[in-house]
This record gives sequence, C-alpha cells and structure tokens, in this order.
Amino acid sequence: MTPPEPIAITGMGAISAIGEDVVSNFRSLEQSRHGIGRITRLDTFHHDRLMAGEIGLSDKALYERLAIADHEAYTRSTLLALVAAKEALDMAGFDRHDGYRTGLISATTVGGMDATERYYDDYLSSAEHRHFIPTHPCGYGAEQMARYFGVNDFVTTISTACSSAANAIMLGGRMIRAGLLDRAIVGGADCLSKFTINGFNSLMIYSATHCRPFDGSRDGLNLGEAAAYLVLETAGLAARRPQKPLAYLSGYGNANDAFHQTASSDNGEGAYLAMKSALQVAALHPADIDYINAHGTATPNNDLTEGHALLRIYGSKDALPAFSSTKAFTGHTLAAAGAIEAVFSILALQHQVVFPNLNFSQPIASLDILPQTQLKHQQIDHVLSNSFGFGGNCTALLFSKAHD
Amino acid sequence: MTKPIYIHGSGSISIQPTHEPGYRFEAVKAYAQNPVPACDPDYKSLIPALQLRRMNKSMRMAIFASRLALQEAGKETVDAVITGTGLGCLSDSERFVETVLANEHELLNPTPFIQSTHNMAAAAIALSLGCKGYNMTYVNNASAFASALLDAGIYLAEHPDHTVLLGGVDELGARTPRFWELAGYLKHDNPVIPTPLAASSSPGEIAAEGASFFVASQQPTSQTLGKVIAGDTCYETADAVAFVNRFLRRYGLAAGDIDAVVLGYNGDIRYDAVYSTVGSTLFAALPHIGFKHIFGEYDTVAGAALHLALRLLGQQDIPQQLLLNGIRPRSLRRILIYTQRRGTNHGLILVEKEG
Repeated sequence: MTPPEPIAITGMGAISAIGEDVVSNFRSLEQSRHGIGRITRLDTFHHDRLMAGEIGLSDKALYERLAIADHEAYTRSTLLALVAAKEALDMAGFDRHDGYRTGLISATTVGGMDATERYYDDYLSSAEHRHFIPTHPCGYGAEQMARYFGVNDFVTTISTACSSAANAIMLGGRMIRAGLLDRAIVGGADCLSKFTINGFNSLMIYSATHCRPFDGSRDGLNLGEAAAYLVLETAGLAARRPQKPLAYLSGYGNANDAFHQTASSDNGEGAYLAMKSALQVAALHPADIDYINAHGTATPNNDLTEGHALLRIYGSKDALPAFSSTKAFTGHTLAAAGAIEAVFSILALQHQVVFPNLNFSQPIASLDILPQTQLKHQQIDHVLSNSFGFGGNCTALLFSKAHD
Repeated sequence: MTKPIYIHGSGSISIQPTHEPGYRFEAVKAYAQNPVPACDPDYKSLIPALQLRRMNKSMRMAIFASRLALQEAGKETVDAVITGTGLGCLSDSERFVETVLANEHELLNPTPFIQSTHNMAAAAIALSLGCKGYNMTYVNNASAFASALLDAGIYLAEHPDHTVLLGGVDELGARTPRFWELAGYLKHDNPVIPTPLAASSSPGEIAAEGASFFVASQQPTSQTLGKVIAGDTCYETADAVAFVNRFLRRYGLAAGDIDAVVLGYNGDIRYDAVYSTVGSTLFAALPHIGFKHIFGEYDTVAGAALHLALRLLGQQDIPQQLLLNGIRPRSLRRILIYTQRRGTNHGLILVEKEG
C-alpha cells in the first residue's frame, strides 16, 4: 500500500505544569523535572491530600497575558487553549487571510465546568457572575477561540473523554486528506476542576502520591491541566513557506473497546485495533516505530491492558521499541493529553530523544515490560502516541520525522 | 460534504410521539410549559431492564432511537458510531456537581461522574451493539449534529463498504434550565407548543430534548429513505443569504431545484428574522416547513429536522401544522434544511428522495 501524502505539522504550542510554552516543556522533559505537587490554586477539600500538575498562572494572569478585558467571561480551559493555540499559530506563521480554508478543531471534557461548580449556587442568588452561564457547554471555548483568532471556515469540538484531543488531531488530518480543509488548528485543553479531581478520586484511581506509570506498584493517576495545539496543513501548502515542517502526521486510528464504561478489556482490544489502524493508514510496520509515547495513566487497569495491547502488536517484549509515559511529568491532562503528548512526540522527533518514564522501579509482573526510564538519544523516525478514554474510546496517532 | 450518503433507517424520540410506528406529524402534541421533556417510549420494549436501570436519559434515548433506526434499516449492527450532543449527559453532570459541593469530604458514588462524560451515549450504543469500530462524539453546541453528519460522510468516503450509525442527543437537566432562564434564553410569555411564529412570536426559546439516529451507507438499498447530498455549517455570518447562496452555487443548484425548505423558526423574536430573510429572498415560491415550533429548541434538534424531512419524503405530504406559508409542494423530492441558534451555528442539510 502506498502511503498517502503526509500531513505537515507547521506549528505547535503547549502549556502544562512543566512549562508555559513548548521550549520550557522540552527543558523540563530533558531535565526530568516533573510538575506534580500539592494542589494550591484550586479550592478543594483535597488540596493537601492529592497531587496534581497545576499550571502556576492564575486566571487573572492569563486574562492579562491574552489582553482579555476583565468583564468578559473566559473559563480557564479556554484561557489555556488560547495561550497554546497562539503559540502554535505564531510558529506556523501563515497569513490568516490568504483565502485557504482553515478549520479549528478543539477538544475538552471539562469545558466551563470550573465556572459552573464555582457559581452553581451563586448564579441563583446574585447577578455578579451570570455572564459565565453561557461558558458551561464544551463547545463554547472553541467558539471563543474562533472569534479570538478570526477562524470561521469550520469550527467544531470533540469530547470523547481522555482521547478527545487525539481525536481532534485525527479529524484535522482526515478533513485535510478529504479535501475539506487546507489547514487545521487542532488540539485540546482541560483545566483542573473539583469535578474531575473528585470524579477520579471517587473511582479510587487517584494516587495519594506521585503516579508511577507501568510500575508494578502503581496505584492510580495524578490529574493535571494543560492545553496544546498543532497547526496541520497540506504538504503542498506548507511547502510554499521557507521554513520546513516540524514533523508529519502520518497515521491515525480510532476504535472502541466495547467492553465497559471505564475499564479496558483484558487484552486491550480497543487499544490494539486503534494502533493497528494507525499503522495501516501510515503504511508502516510495527518495527518502523522508534518510540511509543504511551497513554500510561498509572491506573492498574490502563497500564496492564495497554501493555497487553502493545505486546499483541509486537508479538514479544523483545520486539517492543523504547516506550514511556510522560504523565508523571504533567499529570493526566484528560482531553488535552492527546495534544500535549503529540507535542512531546514531535519534540522527540525533532531532538531525536526518548523522554523518560519517571517513578518506575519494577515491572508489572504479568507483562515484564520495561519503559525507558532515562533520557535516551537515539534515531527516531516514527513515534506512536496513544490516548484512551472512558467509554472504550481508543486513539493512536503516528508522527513522522520531517526529512531535509 | 464528500459524497451523498444514503439513509436506510431513522429513529427519533422527541416531545412529539415520533417514536410511534407510522407517526405522520398530523397529530401534534400541545404543551403549555417551558422546558418540555421528551415523550418517553416504553424503553423496556427495546432495552433489557437491567441495562435500562443504569442508563441516564441521554443513554436511553440514544439507544432507543438507534434501535428504531437499525430496525427500520433491517440491520443488527454497524461499523461505526458517530454522535453529536450539545450538553451531554446533563442530569448526571448536575448530580455530580451537587454531590461534590455538598459532600466533597466523603467518598462519593462515581456513577454520575462516569455517566456525565459526553461520549457516554456513543459508548453505550457501541457497548450494546458490540461495535468495536470508530466511535466519535461532537459537542459543538448547535452544530454538534452537523459535525456528526460531516464525519459520517468522511468516514463513509474512507470506508465505502461500511455502514454507520449517526445521530444527536440532548437531555434537559434540572438546574441548568434555571441558569438558561437567568441568562435570558427561555421564553416566559405564553410558552406553548406549537409555538406561535412570525408576527405573534415573543423573546425566548422553549427548551426541549430528544434523540434522532440514522443508519447510513454509501449504497442505496430497497430500504433507503433518502440521501443526504450535502451539508455545511458556519459559526457566524453577517449575511445568511450569502451563506445559503454559496452553498447552492457550490452544488450547482437554483432555488427552483428545491421543492421545500425546512426553517428553524423557534418563536424567539430576537433571532427568527434570519429565517424570513432567507425564506423570502431565496425561496419565496417554495413551501416553508417549520419544526422547532413542534420540537422545541435544543442543540441537536437538527437531527429531528432530518428525521422529519426523511418522513416527509416518504409520505409526500406536508401536514398543515408544519406548513408555514401555505404553499403546497408540486412534488417532494429535494428538501433543504436551514437552522441556526441564537444567531450562531448556522447549518444546512440537503436531503433528496432516492430513486
């Protein structure tokens, strides 16, 4: 099978607990500097009990950075999204009025829930914060972004739990390939909220300490907040500008585990099918992959079943390429995870480096697979990035190196 | 849109008895309240009781409507499930927020959290059908159904032999409609269904809920209800006539090539003028069909409009209560749906009778 024309990635932006832009995220990854700590900014009962990957900037500081007037209603996920998308757009540097069709495909699960939970009773008794009422729906943030950046050709939002941003990236690629868009700003954002922290805590998959992806003793995740966006373009359009693309989106696949609302099937069927389909779209073999940025949430169920799915793709643990989960750096950033990890995958391609899987000491007995625990320089041509969510939603993306 | 997609089955739950076999939109249920909950079918007739007990309203409406669509199409399962929802599983979201605010220090029941996830309806359908294929959920407010439809078109172009289930679902919450009331979205004065339109309209919309699902593929069969030729969306436009015109030109159509237009009048005097402008400027000689005055307003009500259009193509008749301008169609082969909500998320769907 001949691979179709790859999709050029010409810009990226990221903000997470380990950095307010792409460069600072890379420095933290390179220096094994995680961003997980006690919860300080969010007003929650759990602030001394649970750890999370918080971004140090207050909402007020984000308003200022983005030059948004105080009286306007922007929730934190959208503020983070604007910061990351702005970085991506500045890097891509295309002329927004050149007549090419540009779409905005965003992803979120929290949406405006942080405002809703803050003002849930207040809205009824006081008019002071009612201008935040319209911000609740998940689709509202992308509409604000569209207005902020002047994108109107196509605007949509995906919400498929923790695979949301990976699916947004996938849709961007598919729409470009289908000839419906020339360019797409794709990614996702989720801020921390009491809703999600209590949700994962109620499921008893929230670690009381630092999360330990793929470790035999792992006992749950840390949540984080982040936003990351990519600019995708047809290779032809990207070639008209002097700078070469950062990397290519070469494959994508989505499948459903159809097993349980939250737990993955024992053999990781959905994950397996998603990876297989991404490889097929890219016309690549498993052996072509040099690094896997795993979903690796550090919940007992995810890492076990993802490991099984990886072993099914590769046949044996000896055939597995270097893999790591970067969630011990950022926390699990839910809808943003697929996008922030897409940025990390592209950084791995650009710098030819595998990022370490922190906090690992012993393998999961039944899998006996070892993630990469130290920063490792090696040749990397293709990176596979996994994102799996509630409802059995499994997505795999493939990123490939831009050759000179 | 990519290529036309053929619809072989259509199932709908709404505030009208659309789930009843052979419903022809002749007897329209009247209401004098706001919001208006959907007419509940006998969910147990198609969903096992044990599963049903665990399902929230979005999940049960989506599963029931998709079962109706599958039955009509004579299909047991599909290759992919693509849904749209503006607000997802709103009641479970509210329930979990309320639990967190009241009892954050206690160990909480995770079920409403799990089931508040926006993709739960699509996931529940996949689980009930054992469908391991592509599964997607769009949440872009009043264009959520349009995005699902667009994705179905792309998916079927990528997989020409596959069949997809696509649809939209939205449920009413309890607290959220009070917030809408405070935000000025809802109609106070004489909130009735059927809602008076045009000269007798007033500010505000009537909030409702529902689910509409469709079985689609790229191949016509003897079951085919109709085909969706094209769709388009636009988040904001200063000139809706130009938006509709561009669409017609792109598909080489003149107004005379269309037999009827379905317009999203919801009786909100603040936003309905755009329909009269588009209707009178471009389609003055065509029958104008309303749907939100009988379905109420919610983000994915465009799915109910598609269901209605497919039924009208089948019955070749426009019931009196739906016809807004008294013009009877010469024939009903091609119907254009135009809708928007509160001035944003404009959407067009062009449906044609097959054969």
